[in-house]
Amino acid sequence: MQTLIHQFWQLTFSGVAQGFIYVLISLGYTMVYGVLRMINFANSEIFMFGTFATVVVSRDLLGYGSDSQPIHGFTLIWSLALALVVSMIVSGVVALLVELIAYRRLRSRGTNRLAPLISAIGMSIVLSESMRLLTASRSVGSPRLLAKTSLAEIGGANIRVDQLMVVIVAPIMFFVLQWFVNSTRLGKGIRAVSMNEETAKLMGINLNRVISATFLIGGLMTGASAFFFETVYENTKYNIGFNLGLAAFTAAVLGGIGNIRGAFFGGLALGLLETYASAVLGSQWKPVTVFIVLVIVLLFRPNGIFGEAVQQTRV
Amino acid sequence: MKKKVLAGVAVVTVALGFAVSPADAAVKTYTLAYQGPLTGDNAQTGIDEIAGVKYAIAKFNAAHKGSIQVKLVEADDQGGAAGAGQVAPGIAKNTAIIGLVGPAFSGASIASFPFYKAAGLTLISPSATRVTLTDPTVASDFGGPVFHRLPSKDDKQGPALAAYAIKGVTAPVVYDVNDQSSYGVGLSGYVQTALKANSKVKLAGADAVDGTNAALDLSAVITKIKGANANVVIYEGYYAQAASFVKQLRDAGYKGIFASGDGTYDPGFVTLAKDAAEGARLTASSAVFQDAGAKITADFTKVIGTAPGTYAVEDYDATNVFLTCITKGATTRAKMATCVKTGTFTGLFKNTIKFDANGDVSGTGFINGFLVKNGVIISAGQVK
Repeated sequence: MQTLIHQFWQLTFSGVAQGFIYVLISLGYTMVYGVLRMINFANSEIFMFGTFATVVVSRDLLGYGSDSQPIHGFTLIWSLALALVVSMIVSGVVALLVELIAYRRLRSRGTNRLAPLISAIGMSIVLSESMRLLTASRSVGSPRLLAKTSLAEIGGANIRVDQLMVVIVAPIMFFVLQWFVNSTRLGKGIRAVSMNEETAKLMGINLNRVISATFLIGGLMTGASAFFFETVYENTKYNIGFNLGLAAFTAAVLGGIGNIRGAFFGGLALGLLETYASAVLGSQWKPVTVFIVLVIVLLFRPNGIFGEAVQQTRV
Repeated sequence: MKKKVLAGVAVVTVALGFAVSPADAAVKTYTLAYQGPLTGDNAQTGIDEIAGVKYAIAKFNAAHKGSIQVKLVEADDQGGAAGAGQVAPGIAKNTAIIGLVGPAFSGASIASFPFYKAAGLTLISPSATRVTLTDPTVASDFGGPVFHRLPSKDDKQGPALAAYAIKGVTAPVVYDVNDQSSYGVGLSGYVQTALKANSKVKLAGADAVDGTNAALDLSAVITKIKGANANVVIYEGYYAQAASFVKQLRDAGYKGIFASGDGTYDPGFVTLAKDAAEGARLTASSAVFQDAGAKITADFTKVIGTAPGTYAVEDYDATNVFLTCITKGATTRAKMATCVKTGTFTGLFKNTIKFDANGDVSGTGFINGFLVKNGVIISAGQVK
């Protein structure tokens, strides 16, 4: 407890940075669930492909090596932006493939709800094992593009540039997504399908197009989180998405799965909870604490903290 | 959330030395095995280890051309209990295998023991150091009568690691972190006991992290370390997680000493951690192959294609114990067990290798210190 009191702001800053990574991954789960009422079990592998995309861009496309010095100025901004965009595109494309292969044909044939669930798990395993074979199961390090410079110390919290980037850019992406879902034609279509699929179809909404768009948007957000993760931790491997995906799924359920605002608060709450629990009880108690809190929340709020209450932001 | 298929574990048979001609009926062929991490986060350890095994077999086959040839079966357990549980039954059933070098890691060893005990297959580990592996009072971990090992145990490494970590530090404030593995938890206990016994040392705190997740967010632990004003951090775990830890530690502005045990004694640690590994202090009950001389080092490089790496000496010696027994007629599992248990052997450095009743090498053993300097792990001599 002494650590929590004395290091509160440092822990909070780290927890918020980690929380925003969860927010973006949990959007991938929540978007798909909101529309299909099914969990996209392959989202963790969509994340994993995003992390490898960041590595490939910085290492192979831009030619930076493990001993390269961090870059600065316009080159840095351009390189990071390229890595971010490519990661988002790669994850988005993988998400689209998952929808096409694991969901669409089964949905068009009117199979029961379990079949796409299993096919999504199958896709998850295929993606993960393919990467395992490609990398011989080894961790892959990412070149350091962004120096881990400390910008300031606020209340004892060391504000590091890479974590600050996550804290600033991730919420911007979240609010852009929220605007998109609330205000654009396609976003309204997504919300309509989310509320009532049959009625939406009768109103002339192209169901397949909306579902594909939902997977794509979820994938783009997951890809962005993969970029942020890789920039902060500079390390990935074929099963990197498993633990993070589980955490993000937990965050989505905590906030209210299917609810964009729920994913936001669930992700942040989980990031902070994990950090505080590690500080007070020890890191080995982190998962235990998180799931005890999740169970308690669900006992009182079975649909998560936000549940179905915020209709206008539900996808 | 979902079931993961554990990494497929390939068991590949590799014939070393010279092919046995059908015409040459007098040539007798025997099979040994190696078990360790050949893929996965800690694969570099296994790759370096098996190179030592292959070198010993290649030299043996060349010396016994026309009479005896030895083949090697590779078993990849990825350094973990789950992987060991997948490969050990197959190795145990393959009765052609009369001896196994490994398992490399303690957790994988414990998971493998039931299969090898039932099959009577003799094991010599080059690097598994958990104390209970040779402690008959801890029946769940005890590998006897089949298990033997060459390195010193963690009850010797723990105090040595503690001493080496604080060496030269005027007022050591130590934070101890382990990876929750069988190996890490055990070693951590001995390190902490040694630290607490030293009145000049302040043990500021201890923590445990998830050693199976090499990309874990360790910010909470690091905040505690910085909050405790620790100037020495000791980590008991394997190199992939150690690399992630030391990187996050340095990124957070930690300037003190980072020390770790034989699980981190691997070039893969430096490769993954890059500059953050600089200055890291490591301990291992392992000798440096290059100290055996330039001639044999060059020969090793020529035969294997790479320079000898970590644990090459111990793997070379373990393999030679089996090969010596084969030349003495130990050509079945039962005979091999007797030979290894009762025989006296000579190591690369002319050291005597004789196992006690529980599988440890008789004598006091040694722990060497190592330092990461200019991106290379260099020897710092024996830790007293």
